[in-house]
Amino acid sequence: MLQSTTFLTIQSTAAIISLIATALVISVVVFLMTTSSVDEDKTSAKNKVYKIRGRYMIGLISCVVISLLFTLRLLPYPQFHDKPDRTITVVAMQWAWKMTDGEPNVKPDMLEGTPDISVPVNKQIQFVVTSQDVNHNFAIYDAKGVLLAQTQAMPEYKNRLNYTFAEKGDYHVFCLEYCGLLHAGMFATIHVE
Amino acid sequence: MIQLSFEEQKGQRKFVVAWSITFLVLFPVLIALGLLMRLNQGEIIAMQPTTFYAIMTLHGLGMAGVLFSMSFAGLWYLIGTRYTKLSLGMGYFVFALTLAGVIGLTVATLIGNYAPGWYLLYPLPFVGTSWEEWSNGMAIISLIILGVAWIIGSSHIVSALAKEYDGAFNLLGWQYLGKKEVKREVPPIAMITTISLIAGVMSFLIGAVFLLLLLLKYFEPSLSFDPLLLKNYVFFFGHTLVNITLYCCLGWVYELLPEFTGREWKTNKVLVYSWNCTFFFILFAYFHHLYMDFAQPMIFNYFGQIASFSSSVPASAITMFGIIAQFYHSKTKWGIIPTAFLLGVAGWAIGGFAAVVDSAIAVNKILHNTMWVPAHFHTYMLCGVVLFILGFLFYITHSKAEQERNKPAKIGLWLFITGSAGFLSMFYMGGLNSIPRRYADYASSPIASTHDTGALLAYIAAIFIVLILVGLLTMYASIIFRLGADKRETL
Ligand code: HEM
Ligand SMILES: [Cu+2]
Repeated sequence: MLQSTTFLTIQSTAAIISLIATALVISVVVFLMTTSSVDEDKTSAKNKVYKIRGRYMIGLISCVVISLLFTLRLLPYPQFHDKPDRTITVVAMQWAWKMTDGEPNVKPDMLEGTPDISVPVNKQIQFVVTSQDVNHNFAIYDAKGVLLAQTQAMPEYKNRLNYTFAEKGDYHVFCLEYCGLLHAGMFATIHVE
Repeated sequence: MIQLSFEEQKGQRKFVVAWSITFLVLFPVLIALGLLMRLNQGEIIAMQPTTFYAIMTLHGLGMAGVLFSMSFAGLWYLIGTRYTKLSLGMGYFVFALTLAGVIGLTVATLIGNYAPGWYLLYPLPFVGTSWEEWSNGMAIISLIILGVAWIIGSSHIVSALAKEYDGAFNLLGWQYLGKKEVKREVPPIAMITTISLIAGVMSFLIGAVFLLLLLLKYFEPSLSFDPLLLKNYVFFFGHTLVNITLYCCLGWVYELLPEFTGREWKTNKVLVYSWNCTFFFILFAYFHHLYMDFAQPMIFNYFGQIASFSSSVPASAITMFGIIAQFYHSKTKWGIIPTAFLLGVAGWAIGGFAAVVDSAIAVNKILHNTMWVPAHFHTYMLCGVVLFILGFLFYITHSKAEQERNKPAKIGLWLFITGSAGFLSMFYMGGLNSIPRRYADYASSPIASTHDTGALLAYIAAIFIVLILVGLLTMYASIIFRLGADKRETL
């Protein structure tokens, strides 16, 4: 949702603010190293720094509060989404994926499914994700390799991931939790039509 | 300050040298393992996934263990020679147990191919394994030994300090908060050590419960546990361990920096509030590791993000600003020790910021378990903790004048920084390009760009790692030969 309708992806937003922060830190270091030869008595230097610190602290606390208010509203959890249009059950195993329509009432290892599935575009899909052996992680990538959404695939638990595909095409499922030998080799495909 | 006899001083010195040598030997070997991983991901060499993941497991556990041990040893030395007497018998016992643990892990991973990653995420150690049966038991027992060693060592330091300063509450600085005059000042290093090691002991205890459950299952395979509960245990343990490693090092930065800037740095109300808050943030922030476990009660995710975001306030406004106040217009001569400390704080700030970014649930949903994760923690470990440790090693081997003069070491330091900046940037770019972490290689990726980008970044990173090693060994040259000579008259 957010990632396909907004101009900046979350990835590039993270990149930009981290770069700014890094540049800021480096400038402070350079400033301290190049100006340290100036002699100033302890108390007056400290007072100057502490004055800035006061303002910095107010600024930082406001930033923290605002960004918490802003970011804690849009969470990936099912409580934050409408009722899904369609449900897909996903079972992870060492080292493959099984997917099937609906939420059949069978144990994960008994579920019959395929590593390929088709879902409609612009409909809210709920993936009911679990595992039949160890921890895995169900991550959806678009065809360009951008990570769109993910949830852990845990034995004994069902994690419900809601996602609406805004564009048609093939999407790929990667495993993002280390699950043993062939962790880097378990993929599946979601065809969005 | 306490008075030590010449013999006692010599004993403590020998003890810290023993830890230092262990660190100096193991650290580059573990980097070499990191290099091998990047070479494999960059498709310059080809190894079996079994080997890759065994190496990854040893690298992760080894680095975390070796860096914590060294930060602990540095604290031990400074506290044991300045603030309270510490028992060397106890110290060597901890040292011996630590070595035994390290050897056990090395054998389990390199010979038994043990490879569930540093976190032994239940039930992975028992299901669909590619390693020898015995290596599982051996690794679990080795980790328990390490945990026991560190619980003993930490408790010894904290209880000795508590005796010296009339109780743990004084050590936490609480007497600074009342109206009464403070009878006996507590040096920041003592307060920070206490807070870090108490959090440490809590995490080791939880870690021990986790490991004992695994051990039970090892002997009785029919047992089974709640995977989500055990995931909470192991991340509480791992998160706290890494955090306190950094905080222990900050303890000695508070202690040593004033010798170079000429400005004292004392405990006061603000510092006490700040570090006591930090204690709570350390304990609650770990929930950010479980955001993608949608089954976890949601309130914990809120805790996780609020604690993670809030921890930036004491860290940056108090400690980092404290550092700025130390240096600003102080006429500090930029010898290698103050430089390493300042750059270490910068690395901590940058890595910490990247951590806070990823601790927003709204961001974590697309950065979790991508290369962004190793990116941020390698930043504050490699350009934070390791620089603090190097600063400490220069401190015990160089006089103030020597560390100012030592040109080769300074060149080494800048090579190390340059290499690290390049190496880390490749991790960050991996994260931004959604490259998964813990992939032995990207060859089977169904998306061409994931493979191409992932492999290219790894290839470039490998070149920078060589630079890191060159810089490191350059610095080694001036540390190693001075470890034996008892340089510093004041100690
Ligand atoms: C130049 C030094 C280093 C190099 C070249 C290096 C390299 C690597 C590489 C390539 C990985 C695997 C990344 C992935 O694909 O997931 C890794 C993982 C890791 N590294 Fe490092 N690293 C270095 C320093 C450190 C330091 C100082 C620490 C200190 C704690 C550390 C701790 C870890 C841990 C905990 C992991 C994760 C292991 C796991 O996933 O189980 N590394 N490192
Ligand atoms: Cu996996």
